[in-house]
Amino acid sequence: MSKKLFENNLSTVMVLLTILTMVGSTPVFARTEIQNKGSDTLVNVAQAWAEEYGKRHADVAVAVSGGGSGTGIASMINGTVDIANSSRKMKKKEMSLAKKKGQDPLEHIVGYDALAVYTHSDNPTLSMSISQLASIYGRNDTLKSWGDLGLKIPGCQSDEIVVVSRQNNSGTYAYFKKAVLGKGKYRMGTLDMHGSKDVVDLVENTPCAIGYSGLAYATEHVKLVCIRNGNDDSCVNPSVKTASDKTYPIARPLFMYTNGQPTGQIKRYLDWILSDEGQCILSRKGYAPIKKISCSE
Amino acid sequence: MHHFATTGINQRNSRTQELFRLLFMMMTVLLVLPVLIIMVTLIYKGGAIVTLDFLLSNPLDGMTAGGIFPALFGTIGLVTVALLVSVPIGVAAAIYLSEYASDTWLTRLINLAIINLAGVPSIVHALFGVGAFVIFFRFGTSILAASCTLAVMTLPVVIVATRESLQSVPMAFREACWNMGATRWQTIRRIVLPNAISGILTGVILEVSRTAGETAPIMFTGAVFFTPFLPQSVFDQTMALSLHLFVLSTQVPGVSEALPYGVALVLISIVLLMNSASIGFRMYLRGQKKW
Repeated sequence: MSKKLFENNLSTVMVLLTILTMVGSTPVFARTEIQNKGSDTLVNVAQAWAEEYGKRHADVAVAVSGGGSGTGIASMINGTVDIANSSRKMKKKEMSLAKKKGQDPLEHIVGYDALAVYTHSDNPTLSMSISQLASIYGRNDTLKSWGDLGLKIPGCQSDEIVVVSRQNNSGTYAYFKKAVLGKGKYRMGTLDMHGSKDVVDLVENTPCAIGYSGLAYATEHVKLVCIRNGNDDSCVNPSVKTASDKTYPIARPLFMYTNGQPTGQIKRYLDWILSDEGQCILSRKGYAPIKKISCSE
Repeated sequence: MHHFATTGINQRNSRTQELFRLLFMMMTVLLVLPVLIIMVTLIYKGGAIVTLDFLLSNPLDGMTAGGIFPALFGTIGLVTVALLVSVPIGVAAAIYLSEYASDTWLTRLINLAIINLAGVPSIVHALFGVGAFVIFFRFGTSILAASCTLAVMTLPVVIVATRESLQSVPMAFREACWNMGATRWQTIRRIVLPNAISGILTGVILEVSRTAGETAPIMFTGAVFFTPFLPQSVFDQTMALSLHLFVLSTQVPGVSEALPYGVALVLISIVLLMNSASIGFRMYLRGQKKW
């Protein structure tokens, strides 16, 4: 009787066996795992921090994921990360949603990033004003061709400006919109790329293109546009230094969010990030540190 | 070759024959061409950096140098756990559907569900995985959650392949067995399963190839951009080759051109190696068949 029961419930037995196999590989909790997720702008420096920290502390594994600031903040709201990376501030709406779910996101500024405007290496543009950028990126796009700027780009037959932007859950997208367009909206028909590096890669290969992305993603194959803030001719080049001293107009703070005041291993990790050692790694990656530091190369 | 007297009509027919033969052959060659181009490009551009050291060392300097060991280990781990989950369930389900279930509306509904499950895009499986395994079952973002997601995604492949190979075992085998007084289970274990094993293996091979290459289902459920250590249990997160390739080619600045090609080459080689090994094994088993 019991034998027959066993035979007729073969699939049940198989499922049970599977579950047993999974439970059999019991976890060893000798190591703390810190979940770190979010901003694509921060992901490479977050990776560098995790790599260096791993060399010093074998008892802490920092698992880094990208996906964009929106992804990081959503995970913080859902309570599935320990540290969320973001290149923009959390919105009030997101904050209250997090509170409703029992989370208490606390903001930490971990560095500054100059948002550079990139053009093709053959593009003769040297400088641009914020209002020119707004005319290229804004909804009432008055600047549609390089000819409108009085320029002729070698290799750009159509003369039309290929406007490269980011996907809308990107913190870079949100910050550039606020800094350049103010309350305005982006124009239609931008090419929205899904990563900071994608923007630079596209501009590198497209003579007609203009794009914005973190300074850390600059390569020698693209040009960085010098930004004029007012109506005078002086312009500021994006650099770690101009982002630090706040002379570069499109520079933004980079955030890490923790759930409440960090404790234990998370606090130790965050303290290390803000220490000279952590800040030097950030600086070497092309971001501006939060304080004066002296780094040995 | 021509056994018939060549009349005008026959000549025209044989020319048409030849034309279609060539056309179909060209289509077949077209099918092989992309595979060849991919392999040649990968070997040409990434072959040089794939060394034993590359396979067995950690990534260095912001993943722009060093090897891919954590990603390689992660992919093998993810595939193994996914197989442990899906093969028992899939084979059991197929046995039930083929050997026990009679043709009722419920069985037909189940079959329909399996076909539909196979058609669900992998990104939808990913979101399902987040909801079901990561949040509801509280696996967290972990190898277990990612592998379960992959298992759900590939279950139809295993079920369909297994069911088909079970049904290809002649009914006479079962009837002969029952007439000797064997029970249903004895028949399945001693006669049906051994004769169907090659087909079941095909399903497993197909599953391995698909799981190893998938990116979407694992990037939300258990695979990460970077983690400095190997996972200690199925509840840890891991790097994976497919996601590593995606990340290297879209996110990390300053990566040498050879690196992503090298990773792609390793990923494709794993799949091809596993496929050929299993195909060889299957051919051996088929040779053992006495019918």
